[in-house]
This record gives sequence, C-alpha cells and structure tokens, in this order.
Amino acid sequence: MRFSSQVIYRAAGILVALALALPGAGRADEPPLTVVSWGGSYEAAQRKAIFTPFTEATGIAVEVKRYDGGIAELRDRAAAEGWDVIDMLEADAISGCEAGLLAPLDPQALFGDDAARLAGDMAPAVIRRCSLPQNVYATVMAYDDRAFPGVKPTRIEDFFDVARFPGKRAIRRSPDGILEWALLAEGVPPSQVYDLLSTDRGLRLAFRRLDSLRGHIIWWEDAATPPRLLEEGKAVMASGYNGRFFTAARRDGAPISVVWDGRLIAHDVWAISATADRPEAARRFLRFAVRPGPMARLAERIPYGPARRSALSRIGLGPETGIPMRDHLPNAPQHGPRKLVRDSDWASHTRAMRQRRFEAWLEKGGDGG
Amino acid sequence: MSQPARTSLRGATAPAYRATVLTLCALGVGALASLAAIGLTDAVVWLNEVLLIAPRARVQYEGAGLLVPLATVLVPAVGGLLVALILKGLSPQGRPLGPPDVIEAVQFERPLPGPRGGVASTAAAMVSLGFGASVGQYGPMVYLGAMIGGLVRRLRLNVPNLPAIAVACGVAAAISTAFNAPIAGLVFAHEVVLRHYSTQAFAPTTVAAATGYVFANVIFERPALFLVRFGGVEHGHEFALFAILGLLAAGLAVVFMRLTLWIAARAPRTGVPAWLRPAVAGLAVGLTALWLPDVLGIGKEALRFATIEGAFAPWELAVLVAAKLALTALCIGFGFAGGVFSPALLIGILFGALCWNLVAATGLVATSGIAVYAICGMMALTSPVIGAPLTTILIVFELTRNYDITIAAMVAVVFSNLLAHRVFGRSLFDVQLARRGTDLSAGRDWARLAAIPVADRCVPDPMVANTNEGLDTARRRMARADRSEAFVTDADGTFRGVLHAEAHGNSWEEALRPPDLCFDETTTVMDAMQAIRGFVGDAIPVIDSRDRRLIGVVTEAAVIEAYLDVSQALRREENAVL
Repeated sequence: MRFSSQVIYRAAGILVALALALPGAGRADEPPLTVVSWGGSYEAAQRKAIFTPFTEATGIAVEVKRYDGGIAELRDRAAAEGWDVIDMLEADAISGCEAGLLAPLDPQALFGDDAARLAGDMAPAVIRRCSLPQNVYATVMAYDDRAFPGVKPTRIEDFFDVARFPGKRAIRRSPDGILEWALLAEGVPPSQVYDLLSTDRGLRLAFRRLDSLRGHIIWWEDAATPPRLLEEGKAVMASGYNGRFFTAARRDGAPISVVWDGRLIAHDVWAISATADRPEAARRFLRFAVRPGPMARLAERIPYGPARRSALSRIGLGPETGIPMRDHLPNAPQHGPRKLVRDSDWASHTRAMRQRRFEAWLEKGGDGG
Repeated sequence: MSQPARTSLRGATAPAYRATVLTLCALGVGALASLAAIGLTDAVVWLNEVLLIAPRARVQYEGAGLLVPLATVLVPAVGGLLVALILKGLSPQGRPLGPPDVIEAVQFERPLPGPRGGVASTAAAMVSLGFGASVGQYGPMVYLGAMIGGLVRRLRLNVPNLPAIAVACGVAAAISTAFNAPIAGLVFAHEVVLRHYSTQAFAPTTVAAATGYVFANVIFERPALFLVRFGGVEHGHEFALFAILGLLAAGLAVVFMRLTLWIAARAPRTGVPAWLRPAVAGLAVGLTALWLPDVLGIGKEALRFATIEGAFAPWELAVLVAAKLALTALCIGFGFAGGVFSPALLIGILFGALCWNLVAATGLVATSGIAVYAICGMMALTSPVIGAPLTTILIVFELTRNYDITIAAMVAVVFSNLLAHRVFGRSLFDVQLARRGTDLSAGRDWARLAAIPVADRCVPDPMVANTNEGLDTARRRMARADRSEAFVTDADGTFRGVLHAEAHGNSWEEALRPPDLCFDETTTVMDAMQAIRGFVGDAIPVIDSRDRRLIGVVTEAAVIEAYLDVSQALRREENAVL
C-alpha cells in the first residue's frame, strides 16, 4: 500500500512537473500555495521570515490558514480547504503520517546530494518519513509578575503548589505536557519521565499530582490564549510556548516572567498534506524553509530555535526589539539543567490512551470547563 | 618449589617494563571491558524495546489487541528455551558463568574457564535479560569484564600477579561503566575479587576504573543511574531506624539467598528436564507479569516508584517483594543466566519503602520521607548478597550523588552485613563456591592450602619395599640407604604397612606396623598441617582411599614447605609495589 501510494505520488509529481514545463502554462492564475500555521505572533514572524521571502524568490503566492494542531483537524479540513504545507508538532506529524494523511518525503529527491549533510546538521532532530524538522520550541510555565510581589515561583513544583502560590493556572486542555510536569514535580528525573508515564502507576501518580490543582484550572486550546490570560490577570500561572510568552513580555510589555525549569522541549516540523493541490510548489517551499537563512530570520523574530545547527550562528538581534535572540532560545544553556525532550514517537503512539485517561480525569472531577 | 622460578622471573623484568605492561593492560582491558559493558547494556535495552518488555514500548501497542499480553507470557518463556539451547550447545560448562568463577580463578591463580564458555554465558545472559527474565545484569557484566582481563594471561608477559590484576581491571571497568561509578568499581574489584590491597594491583585497577568512567561519562555521556533528591536526615533518632532496617533487610537477604540456593539444588529433582527449566521459569515470570508487570526484567520503573510516596500501597509493596524474590530465585535456580545484584536492589528498595510505610502508618516517629528508607533498604539487602559493604556504600554515593543518603545507607549496610555474615556467610558467591568445595570463609591462605592436595608434594625418592622381595633384602636396602623406615606394598601396589629398621620378626606379617599417620588422595596441605601437630615420624604415606594403593610419601618438611610457599606467594602478592 505504501509502495503504491508512493508510485501514485511520484506519478503525480511528474505530471505536475510536466505541466510546469509547458511554456506559459497559466502561471498567472495558479492558485496560491496553502500553508497552515498557528496564528498569532508565531505566524506573523513566519510571514516576515519565510512566507514573504519565499514569494519574492519564487513568485509563488502563499495563503496562510490557521489551526490549533492535532490530527483531527487535519483529517477534517485538509482536503476541503486545499491544505498544502502544514506546520505541525512532530508527534502529530508521526500520527498523521501513519494515518496516511501526509505525503511521504524523499530527502534524496528533495535535496539531492545535500540530504546527508542536512540530516547531520539537523541531528538530534530527525528527518522522518513525512516530516522535516524546522524549529525547536519549549513548553514552559510563566507567571504574572504582579501576582507574586514577594517570593516568585522558580520551579515546576511551584506550579502545583496552590498553597504557596495561590491563583488560577492556565493549562492546555490536553494530556500533553501537564502529565510530564506532574511527574517532574514528584522528583522524577527527566530521563525517566516517559518510562514512568508508560505505566499505569505512573499515570495514576501524575493525575494524583494534578488533583492538587482541581478547581484552580482554566483550560486553553489556542496557543495565543495563555499570555493573554496572564496579562488580563485571569490566571497567575500558565503553561504555554516560550515564543508566545517572549513576544507578549518583550514586545508588548506584558508583566510576564518565564520559568525555564522543567521546560518541555519538542520539535516543530513541516509536512505536506497527502491531498495537497500543489505538491511540487509545496516541496519548493520546504526546500526554501529549511535553509539556514530563513530559519535564523524566524528565530530573530520569535525565540524558537532553528532545527539546523548551522543556522544558530546566523541569529542576531530581533529586528523590532533589538534583543540578542540567541539567549532566549529554548536550548540556551543558561536556562538550567532540568529539561525534558519530548519523545515524539511515544507521544504519537500513546495519544489515544492518554487522551482517554485525561478525559476520565476531567469527568471525575466535573472539571471539564 | 616455585620460589626459584619466581625469583628469576622477577629478575628478568625491569620495573620500567612492568610498569609499562601494567599501565597498558589497565588501559586496554579497561577500554574493552567498558565498551563490552556498554554493548551488553544497549543490547538488552534494545531487546527490551523490540520484545515489548520495556513499559515504554508496551504502552505504544496497548491498542493492538492481545499483542502485549501474548508477548508478556511468551517472550520470557521463549527466552528460557533460547538460553537452554545456547548453554547446552555452546558452553562447555553447560551453565552460566559468573562472579563465583571469577573469584575462584583469581584466588587460586587459575585461568578462567575458556572464552567459549564465557561468550556463551554472556550471550545467554543477554537473552535472559533481553527477554525479561527476573535476573540481574551486573553479574554477567562482571564476568564479561573478567573474561576480557583474562585474555592477558595468554600473552605471557612475565609480570608477577599480572593475570589476577588484569582480571580485576576488567571487573573494575565493567562496574565503573555499568553504574557510572568508578570508585565503586575500584573497590568492588578489591573487596570481592582480589581480596587484598596492594599498590601493584591498586594502581592498574584504578586506571581501568577511570577508563571505564571516561567511556561511560565523557565519550558516551551516560547519566548517573539513580539520581535522588533528598534534603538530609531531619531527626537523629532515624539512624536507629536505619540500623533496624538494616537488620530486617539482612533477614530478607538471607531468605533470598537460601531460597536461591535451595531452588538451584532442588531443580534437578523436579522432574523437569534441564533444557525446559528456564522456559518454565520464564513462563512463571510471564504469567505473574500479566498481573504484576513490575516483575518483568530489571524493573527500573519500580525502582523509581519506590522512592515516591504513595506510588505503591503497602500491600502492593509486600506482594511485589515476595513475587520478585521468589521469581528471581526461580529464574536463577532454573538456569536463566544472570546476576542477583539488580533483583536484590529492587527487592531491597521495595522492602525499604514498605518499612517506611509501616513506620509512617504508626504515626509514632517523625521521618524524613520515603526516599532515604527505600535506598537504605535497597543497599542493606544488596550488600550481604554480594558481600561487599564498602562497595555498596560507594555505589549509593555515586548513584545518587547525595551525601546525606550515603551516610544513612552506610548505617543500614553495616548492620545488615554483620547479621547476614554471621547467619549465612560472607556472600551468596562465597557460599556458592563453598558448596562447590572451595571455602574462602577462613581466609585466602587457608583456602589456597585447602586447594593443594598433599599428594602433589610427595618426595621424589621414597623408601618403598615390596613383599615380593625378601624381608632381609628390604632391610639391607634400608641400611644401605640409611633409612629408618620403608613403606611396603604387595605385588599389585596395595599398601601393607611400615617397616621400621629396628622392627623384629622374620616374616613380613611380624615385621610390618601400621603407620602412625596416613593421608589419602583427598588430604589437602591444610589438613596435613593440622594433622602433623605432634607427629614425630619423618614421613607419612599417602594411600588411595578407594583401592588402598600407595600413591607416595610426604615428609613433614614437604608439608611445611608447601605452607611456606603459599604464605610467601600471598605475602609477595599483597605487598607488591611494582
């Protein structure tokens, strides 16, 4: 099955190439390339660093659509809305690939002889069957500085300590991340968190820790929400993506501080939808987007680390903030030793089970809000 | 006897040569043993992933119907069959090799069993661990390191004590790499394998342990195995609790060791053929794991859970302690290849956690939390099993990198060791050796004397007479040779008695006397040393106890010389500088 889909895919590619090769084959009225991303400050940064330069370089227009991750949306919307390139969490991309929703990539065809060098440059991130690593982001906790005039939260344990640090917690309505934090807060070393979360006992322990937050949680689903909740004073602590908190605090002046302890590091990837209307243009986009230059430009605008080591040395000051951006990347050394690198394969293959347990936990406490 | 050879050997090699050889051996053996230990660990981790033993792999197939339960039941059983096949087909010894074989070889200056047996044993251990049997990985690693060190003997490098030192280097590097604990590796090699501290052995062993550390930590960047956060012991009275915990753990350790030996001894009488026994044990592990998945394999997850309050209910801890203890004894007794160290760690930590739960439930005494009790239990149970209190204390230190926990564990370990040594013996290894006829409990010198048959020390020209020759002829030969007694056999070599020069009588029957003292083929130099106290004659016949044939004659001087040789060899080894 995999073979045949690849054959069809290749054949389609050849047809598209042939169509493009025909002189003046209606370039002007080509539909734009549909790139799907996450909205907000992240998307704004991507527009400046990648999308616009891509259009300038190739003449291919980019239309941006928004989603909040997950493969349910991919299944429901991709074909109908003509999604071509999708910015995905790596675990979602693995699931999407296994479900046949994403097109397999052939690094050799995409990058020719550079494929091996690229793979080396991207390590430890890996080029998977359907995805190319693009950046490294961290799920971190942040707090409203006004809420704690005295002692400030400094450790992931403090997130679960409503006695010392009272107030609402904004948490993504998903088992991703919060269960890992719950075990870190139990003193489990990062290297063992996923081993322990793989057992029933580990999950029970994590949910027991989460019990201590019952009644103190505001759930969020859209990545732009947590900085807003903090800024508006609706929550005192929040889980969220480091780039969003950075933009809110540094560019917009929100009173938000990030705690890097226990940060959960993961990869964001590019993938091509299996139903892409313009696969050849999508591949061109991928070739453009993983060049060190655009990667570094993105990191200057929002502190998500480039997936390529060679892009690191190109990162300078933020164009709007004038802040040296390398210090704010998730992998900067001064953020302290306790970090957890997400096991995307594990996350992808245990999603259903964790989701089930999570829903059951929500049900039990009537905390579904 | 061996003294002239040794002297010339020492004279033949210069200190610079010996230093070079020792350094290179330490580096070479250290590096290879370390790589081998890493290879074995990684192979086991890989097998655990692929065969759905590791929880992290199992959980990813939870949705796949009966796959996980089937793997749970069948994988350890199939592993058992493979282990039996490997040991039967490839190993000349037909059994797994381990620390007792290393101790024996080093203590008696013998070569280790051939590499074929070692490789087969290692392969069997890899399968045992990889397929989820309830056995440990450190015993096989110790043997693997020792086997690599044992190759140095074949190079005939003319450095005194080198074979034993090279084996110790391999052991030190393997432990250093496996636990990421170089100091513990160094001490383990001395405490368990060499059993003495000499500068000559200490230096290379240290180099090998450091090499292992460099490989584990710098090149492969392995994290410390068991980091624990602990703020310190809060109450002075807790040290009394640690001591009591140590004594209780000693009791459990003795139960564990006795059960292991008992099952091993009973296994042949169960009626299960040897080639099927590991599979039966594997099936038992698999069936138990359906209900208690924590018993599968090494159980790293359970080790961690035991340090977290509330992860286990007290009854769960009690059940797991019993299950892990019984299954480990069954796996080892029924022929899986693997050690007792990691299972002892797990049983101990669960037991420690259980004890804390009981203390906390009474509400009578304040405690500093579960972690320190769990770790005290872990080390207090393990220490008597391997017979190495100092190593155990250092392992706590290097595994947890926590000084406060080390001090607490130290108290538990010494009390545990004291009691278990008194009740059971120095270690499981030593008792296993003793059951094979090598008793190290009275010290190295005694053990070595006990290993030399006195028959090996017979004089080259004994005064022997035969009843075929005439009595007078024999008397004349004695007078000519100026001997006061002759040892007389009949035509087919059966011993008849002693003929004293002054003995009267005209026939053999009248002239012969029974000897004042006689040895047989099983008499050792140690037995002889005891027997010749108060003996006044000058020679003692050695008579085969089975057919009464005269094997030879030993003199009192020869026995004492053998004793001196052994003491001298040990003194030289223990005080060697270079």
